[in-house]
Amino acid sequence: MRRRGYAGKVLFVNLSNGSYHEEVIADEIYERYLSGIGLAAKILYERIPPHADPLGPENILGFVSGILTGSGAVFSGRWMVVGKSPLTGGWGDANAGGDFAPAIKRCGYDAIFFTGTSSHPVYLHIANNGSIALRDASEYWGKDAVEAEDALKATHSSRAGVAVIGTAGENASLISGICNDRGRIAARSGLGAVMGSKKLKALVLEGAYRIAVHNHEGIKEISRSVNRYVAFQPPLFSGKYAALLGSFMRLNPLQMAMDGMVYKMLLKRWGTSSMNQMSIEMGDSPVKNWAGSNEDLDLKQSSVYDPDVILQREKLKYHCNSCPLGCGGICSMPNHFQETHKPEYESIMALGGLCMNKDMESIFYLNEMLNRAGMDTISAGATVAFAIECFENGLLTKEQTDGLVLQWGNTGAVVALIQKMIKREGFGDLLADGVAVASKRIGEMANSYAITAGKQELPMHDGRNDPGFNLHYSVEAAPGKHTIGAQLYYEMFQLHRVVPDLPKVTPLSLYRKGQKYIASREKAQMAAACSSFMNVVNSAGLCLFGTFIGVHRVPVFKMLNEVTGWHNSPKEYLQIGARLQTLKQMFNVKHGIEPLSLRVHSRAEGIPPLGGGANKGRGADMGKMMADYWREFAWDTATGKPTLDSLVLHGLASYLEDYREELEKA
Amino acid sequence: MAFRVESRCNGCAACVAFCPVAAIGGLKKEKHNIDNKLCISCGVCGRICPHGAISDDFGIPCRHQKRSLWQKPVCFTEVCVSCGICVSACPTGALRLSGDESSKDKKRIPSLETKKCIACGFCVADCPFEALFME
Repeated sequence: MRRRGYAGKVLFVNLSNGSYHEEVIADEIYERYLSGIGLAAKILYERIPPHADPLGPENILGFVSGILTGSGAVFSGRWMVVGKSPLTGGWGDANAGGDFAPAIKRCGYDAIFFTGTSSHPVYLHIANNGSIALRDASEYWGKDAVEAEDALKATHSSRAGVAVIGTAGENASLISGICNDRGRIAARSGLGAVMGSKKLKALVLEGAYRIAVHNHEGIKEISRSVNRYVAFQPPLFSGKYAALLGSFMRLNPLQMAMDGMVYKMLLKRWGTSSMNQMSIEMGDSPVKNWAGSNEDLDLKQSSVYDPDVILQREKLKYHCNSCPLGCGGICSMPNHFQETHKPEYESIMALGGLCMNKDMESIFYLNEMLNRAGMDTISAGATVAFAIECFENGLLTKEQTDGLVLQWGNTGAVVALIQKMIKREGFGDLLADGVAVASKRIGEMANSYAITAGKQELPMHDGRNDPGFNLHYSVEAAPGKHTIGAQLYYEMFQLHRVVPDLPKVTPLSLYRKGQKYIASREKAQMAAACSSFMNVVNSAGLCLFGTFIGVHRVPVFKMLNEVTGWHNSPKEYLQIGARLQTLKQMFNVKHGIEPLSLRVHSRAEGIPPLGGGANKGRGADMGKMMADYWREFAWDTATGKPTLDSLVLHGLASYLEDYREELEKA
Repeated sequence: MAFRVESRCNGCAACVAFCPVAAIGGLKKEKHNIDNKLCISCGVCGRICPHGAISDDFGIPCRHQKRSLWQKPVCFTEVCVSCGICVSACPTGALRLSGDESSKDKKRIPSLETKKCIACGFCVADCPFEALFME
């Protein structure tokens, strides 16, 4: 056994009876499925029965690290949580940074999976000598994620990696996530509810195991080389000019292919909030529950989101493990909390522009409250925006909203409503499971305002500006996520430099904006490459922002080979990525998810088209784009389901019999 | 590969207290042993053993060193990129990132809790940027 880069074993913990066992994973499995999300896809596909209730004992919740995590490779500090999503009913995954990813591997495991359901609150503790115990968590149950993490570290060790749910997960909110590092959160897919339903409050990992690396000096040399790009940081303009750049991009009939170095510079200077005003101006950020535009939130009004204003609160830079970039920040929050993580772009826009809330203080507060509760800021903001639109259109009355006047820009109502959602109190209980459930409870009329893809609230990137986002929201096994692909992402990844068969995009080249909306084979190739690539990235444990710098500067495939000793070509890695994409899609088919049902809400597609603003009249033929995408994987272009032939093509022939049965049942 | 306890061991248990992964077992006043599966080759047992009863991965006897003479990691703050690889490499939690809020770059750099450091040098070995050295 070579065991380079990965620990070679996973831990299974049965919460129903408190037992656990290790499983050794063969090298061939890692070679075919990688680790991280790939290994998880294989295990979850094989072991979760099709009828499993996502909040029941048959669901499996996995915490996985990547192959590169703990190897000395930069940007390799992401951990992922996987399971059957209670929000979408299909494949669920979410991803976070901080310091938890290496903690999993330091315990000698590539992944920890939980089955069953405990009768009382417990947490998993793995001590420094590898001893495993499920301990009573009664005294931590009811605490928010930060309080619980602090208390667990005080009980055990300050060096322990801790992943924990807040009260939203305990209350099985379908839009809850799992937190670590005092407010980082793997927020999407509602997997916090799965953890809560299993009565698992936390994982406390104290292991000190060291991962062997095939070529330690080689990976260190790559890290130094990558850092040269990260460190290159010329003086930048102020936040106000960043906003004006967005206006220029809106008015310019030409689109510039983005070079990831530009985005890297913005991230290093401001973090993700660099894009706040710029995104509103250029049409990337949805406004007013996707019905508004930059015209509703002009430059003066959006100046509350100016990244320079946010930066004034930053006390210290924050880096996830192994990240030389440091897009995060620790901010002060006088009168409320001693410190808080700097709100991300997604959170600011969901709690801000989407609800027309122009009070940055409240956004800081809500961001911290939601992180502590372990509730997804994107979904929470989207749900409030949905409720406001329902109220404004008479579908909700003051009596139903516990007296709250839900109007656009009513900061007090937004804060009060989110507090109610966190506590599942009164009207908040109706909204605590997200837009899709709330819409069902309010009535059919509300569907027009329920902007989701496959029941997951959409993130803050408008597919009417970049139809690539809409495509990935609609075709990924975990729908409605912005961290997989877009035309913008493809431009930054620069995959064609290492896989010459792929469409070429020259950074900083200009093209007509209209080209973005033409559905073509080339677009499908680009999207399929993004999906496959991100499966590799999520199996490696890498950060999306690191990969934005471009594969010619952050050599992802070479890093994998240096750590494992494999000799795979980039194309072979993308083939593995395509295998994983197919396996996740098979998971959805097995669990009764119709791929067509994941299509993004018509309003977000541009049906009807917006009457003004940056995305006026914009929209793409999403039906054709989805079919073209499915064709790239040789799946059925009418249904989006993997065909039996495609299983053979992607090296999944061993699942033929099982999958044939699932297809027939479907 | 792992460290090994030789027959010279008199079971004083000095090593047990320092092993960061609790890999050393045995009764007091009797020869101890190291669990191969747990040992991470940090070498602290060899450094602390007053009887020179520990051999390293290659079978070479380790030399006892007074604790006050153990080398400690020192950070080149200008070179450090705050990635925290050193922090996760540390088996005892002796390192953590901390920063001076009044500094212009708001950078967090590794700071050492000397009492916890066992001079394993893993932080220096793992830092890709050569921002740490043992002194």
